Amino acid sequence: MKHTLFAGLIAAALAVPAYAEDYTIIAPAAPGGGWDQTARTMQEALQAEGISDTVQVQNVPGAGGTVGLAQFVASGQGKADQLIVGGYVMVGAILTNASPVSLADVTPIARLTGEYEAIVVPAASEIKDINGLIEALKADPGAVSWAGGSAGGADHIAVGLIAKAAGVDPTKINYIAYSGGGEALAAILGSQVTAGISSLGEFKAQADAGTLRILAVSSDERIEGVDAPTLKEAGLDVSMQNWRMVAAAPDITDEQKAAIAADIEKMAQSKTWQDALATKGWADTYLAGADFQAQLDKDIAAIETILKDIGLVK
Amino acid sequence: MSGSTPGTRRPDGATLVVAVILAVLAVVIWTDAARLPQAGGYAGVGPADVPRWIAVGLAGLSLWSAIEAFRSGKSEREPQNAGPVLWIVGGLAAQLALLTTVGFSIATGLLFAATARAFGKRNLLLTVPVGIAFALAVYLIFAGLLKLSLPAGPLEGLVWGLFRGTPG
Amino acid sequence: MNTFDFLLQGLSVALDPMILLYALIGVTLGTAVGVLPGIGPALTVALLLPVTYGLDPAGSLIMFAGIYYGGMYGGSTTSILLNTPGESASIVTALEGNKMARAGRGGPALATAAIGSFIAGLAATVLLAFVAPTVVKLALVFGPRDYFALMVLAFVTVSSAFGESARKGLISLFIGLALALVGIDQLTGQARLAYGVPQLLDGIEVTTLAVAMFAVGEALFVAGQRNAVDDEVIAVKGSVWMTARDWARSWKPWLRGTIIGFPIGAMPAGGADIATFLSYATEKKMSKHPEEFGNGAIEGVAGPEAANNASAAGTLVPLLTLGLPTTATAAIMLAGFQQFGLQPGPLLFATNPQLVWGLIASLLIANFMLLVLNLPLIGLWVRLLTIPRPWLYAGILVFATLGTIGANPSPVELSMLLIFGVMGYGMRLYGYPIAPVVVGLILGPMAEQQLRRALSISQGDLTTLVGSPVSATLLALSAIALIVPLILRARGKGAVLNQLASDED
Repeated sequence: MKHTLFAGLIAAALAVPAYAEDYTIIAPAAPGGGWDQTARTMQEALQAEGISDTVQVQNVPGAGGTVGLAQFVASGQGKADQLIVGGYVMVGAILTNASPVSLADVTPIARLTGEYEAIVVPAASEIKDINGLIEALKADPGAVSWAGGSAGGADHIAVGLIAKAAGVDPTKINYIAYSGGGEALAAILGSQVTAGISSLGEFKAQADAGTLRILAVSSDERIEGVDAPTLKEAGLDVSMQNWRMVAAAPDITDEQKAAIAADIEKMAQSKTWQDALATKGWADTYLAGADFQAQLDKDIAAIETILKDIGLVK
Repeated sequence: MSGSTPGTRRPDGATLVVAVILAVLAVVIWTDAARLPQAGGYAGVGPADVPRWIAVGLAGLSLWSAIEAFRSGKSEREPQNAGPVLWIVGGLAAQLALLTTVGFSIATGLLFAATARAFGKRNLLLTVPVGIAFALAVYLIFAGLLKLSLPAGPLEGLVWGLFRGTPG
Repeated sequence: MNTFDFLLQGLSVALDPMILLYALIGVTLGTAVGVLPGIGPALTVALLLPVTYGLDPAGSLIMFAGIYYGGMYGGSTTSILLNTPGESASIVTALEGNKMARAGRGGPALATAAIGSFIAGLAATVLLAFVAPTVVKLALVFGPRDYFALMVLAFVTVSSAFGESARKGLISLFIGLALALVGIDQLTGQARLAYGVPQLLDGIEVTTLAVAMFAVGEALFVAGQRNAVDDEVIAVKGSVWMTARDWARSWKPWLRGTIIGFPIGAMPAGGADIATFLSYATEKKMSKHPEEFGNGAIEGVAGPEAANNASAAGTLVPLLTLGLPTTATAAIMLAGFQQFGLQPGPLLFATNPQLVWGLIASLLIANFMLLVLNLPLIGLWVRLLTIPRPWLYAGILVFATLGTIGANPSPVELSMLLIFGVMGYGMRLYGYPIAPVVVGLILGPMAEQQLRRALSISQGDLTTLVGSPVSATLLALSAIALIVPLILRARGKGAVLNQLASDED
C-alpha cells in the first residue's frame, strides 16, 4: 500500500505543469558574491514587478563561473526558463581554465551593469599622475608592483593592456594578485606596492578621504565626481568596462529569445531594479541586442589577445 | 630515527601502509609540479616550487614512518565493527548518487535511515519515512524560508505545488 | 567625550523594548542556524540577512548584530557537545571542549565558552569604539613579509602544541599542506593537482574538510566501536555550572584570548582561525596543568573561544574605518550595511556617526542578549547528548550534508565529504591528530602566497624577509619557539617523550 501511495505522489508531482513565466537563474558563484547579488536582485525585481511569478536562484560556484556555465550548457539545452548571470571575469576564466564551454555556447541577452577600473597610488606616493607611473614603468617594469585581483581577472587584464599601450612588454609587469575583498586595498594603503588597480567603487571612498590618489580611469569619458583623466586622455589607447550580463540557454527559438529579452528589458527599466542599482552603487550600463553582441565579440577578442600577451594563455 | 632493529619483531602494518601512502602522495605531487611551467617571475619562487618542498617533506615523513614501523613492532588495536561503518558510508554514497535525481529530501532521508541503522535502529520501514519527513521539514525551512538552493526532486515539486494552491 | 556621548545615545536607542525584542529574535535565529555543522557565521548571516530587510534601520541593525553573534556562538556549541565544528574558527574549541563534554563536563565547557565570548566581545567592542583608528594604522604596516613571518610563527607554535607524537603530528600537517595545493595557484593562475576537474580548480573548501573530518569521521568512528550501541550516555556529571576552580582557571585565558584575537582580527589578512590556533598554543604553554591538554583542559576552551569573538570584533576595525571586508562574514556584513545606505570607508565615522555608534551599541546589546539567552539554555543544550544515538548521529549527518549542499550543491563536493570523512575515520583509528590537517589547509596557501608576494615585490631579494622590524621579530620568536623545546628534549626530557611516542603505536 505504501508503494502505491508513493507512486501516486510521484505521478502527482510530475503532473505539476511547468509555469511558462517562471525563471531559474543560475548564479555561477557562492552566495554573497557579485554574480550572486546580481542574480538575487534580478529575482527581486522580476517578482516585484510581476514580470514572473516565481524566480529561483541556484548557486553553482567554481572556477570563475566556468563550472556553472558548463552545467548550464549541459542541462539547459533549449529550455527557455533558464538564465545565467555572467561577466567580464568569466570570459578570462574560460580562457585561462581551458574551459570546454564558452559564451558562444549560450544565448547572451543583455549587459546589465558594469564598473570601470581605476589606477591608484597611496596619497604619500612620489608618483603624481598617470604619466609619472608610465615613465616609471618604462624605466624598470619590475620596480613597479601592481596590487589587484586574481591572476587573469579584469584587473590583471587592465594592467596588461596599459603596459602594451605604453610600449612595455606585458610579460614584464610585476603584478601581485590578491584574492580581492579588501586585501589588495590594504596593501596599497600600507604602501606595500607601487600602485593599485581595481574597480573604481573599491577606491572611491578612500580617494574622497584623501588617502589614495586616483591617477586614471578606464572609461571612455570622464566620470562625474572623479577628479582623474581617462587613460585615453593620457595617451594610452585603453578603455574597458568590467560588466555583468545575463544569458539564456543554448538552442532556444528566436521567439523565446525575443520574449526573454523583452522581460529583461522591462526589468532593467523598472523602478525596483533602478532603485536597487542606486542602493548598491552599480552603474546602469544596460545594452542589448546586436549592439551588445558586437561589444561582447570585441571584448572576447581583446581579452584573448592580452591574456596571450601576458603569457597566461598559450 | 637510528637504532632500528629490523627482524626482531614483526613490523607494524598500519604504519607501513601510512609510509606507502605518503610516498605515493609525494610522487603524485612531484609529477604534477614537473608539468607546471617555471613561471617564478620576479619572485623567483614559482607555482611548482612550494609543491616540490611539500613533496620532499612527505617523502621524508614516509621514510621516518617506515623506520618507525620496524622499530616499534606490531601493536594491538581495539577491533572495529565493519558493518555500521559500511552502513554510514553507503548512506552517504546513496545520498551523493541520488541527490540530483530524487531531490534533497528522499536522498537525505536515506542517509538518515542508514545512519540510524548503523547505530542500532534496524527497522528501515520506520526509519526511511521518518528520515524523509525530517529531511523534507529541513528542506522547507532552508530552501523555502531561507532561500538556500537545495536540489529539488518530485517530492519537493509536489509540496511546492500544494503550497501554491495549484496541485497537479 | 564626543565618542562617549554618541555611544550613550546609541545605547539609549537600543534600550527600547521593541529593539530588545529584535535583538533577542536575531540572537535566537543566529544561534539556531549557526549551531548546524557546516554552516558558519558567514553563511548564517547571508541566509538570515533578508529577514532584517523589512524593519526600520535601528531594528534591522540590531537584529543583524544579534544574528552575527548568535551565528558565531552557535558554532562552538556543536564543537563542544558533538565534536563537529561548524567552521574553522571553532575547530580548536572541539579539541578540549569535546573531551570535557565526554567527561560529563559539557555544562562548564559551554559556560566558559559563552562567558568568554561575552567578555571578549565586550572588551573588543569597547576597543573598537575607542582605538579603531590607531589599530588600523598599525594593521596596515603589515606587508606580505610580515604576514609570512606571522604564518611561520603560527606553524611553529601550532605544530608543537598538537602532537603527542611528532611524527604523527607532522604527517597530519603535511597532508593538510598537500591538500592545500589543489586548485588554481592564485598568483599565476596555474592549475595544480586538479586533473581537469573544474570543481577542484577553486581548491578544497576548508568547511567541507572540517565537517568531513570531524562530523563524518566522528560518526564513523563512534559507529565502528564495539559496544557503541549500548554505551551509557554521560550528559552531565556534577554541576552544569562552572565551579570556583573553573572560574579561577578561565578568567586569564579569556583576557589573553581577547588580547590575541582583537589585533589579529584587525589585520587585513589575519583571521579568527589563526587567532584561535595561537591562543590554544599560548594556553598550553602557560598552563599549570599542561598534562590536561588533550584530555579536557578548560583553558583550551576559554582562550580560543574568547579569541574568536575578539577577532570577529577586530574584523570590524578595517571594515568600519577603511571599508575593507577582510573575511567572508565581513563581506556579507558590508552588503548588510549598504541596505541602510551606509557606505563603510574612512569618512564613515565623520559622516554617519549615529549609524556607526548605533551599530556599536547594537553589538554590545546583542552580545549581552547572547549571554542572557545561552546561559539558561546550557542545561537544555547538554541534553542534546541524551538524544538516543541513532537519531542524534542521523541528525548530525543530515545537517552536515545540508551545510555542504547548501554552500555548493555539486557531486564533487559531496564526494569530498565522503572521502575525507573516511580519511578522518582512518586517522582517528590509528591515532593521527585531525586538527593539523585543517591547520595545514588554512595556513599553507596563506604562507605560500605571502612569501611569493614578498619576493615578487623585492624582485627576488631574500633579505626582504627579515627587512622589516615586525617580520624580523616574528621570525626570531619562531626560531626560539622551535629551538627551546629541542634543547629541553636533549637535556633528558627526551627519554620521557620517546617513551610516550613508542607507547602509543
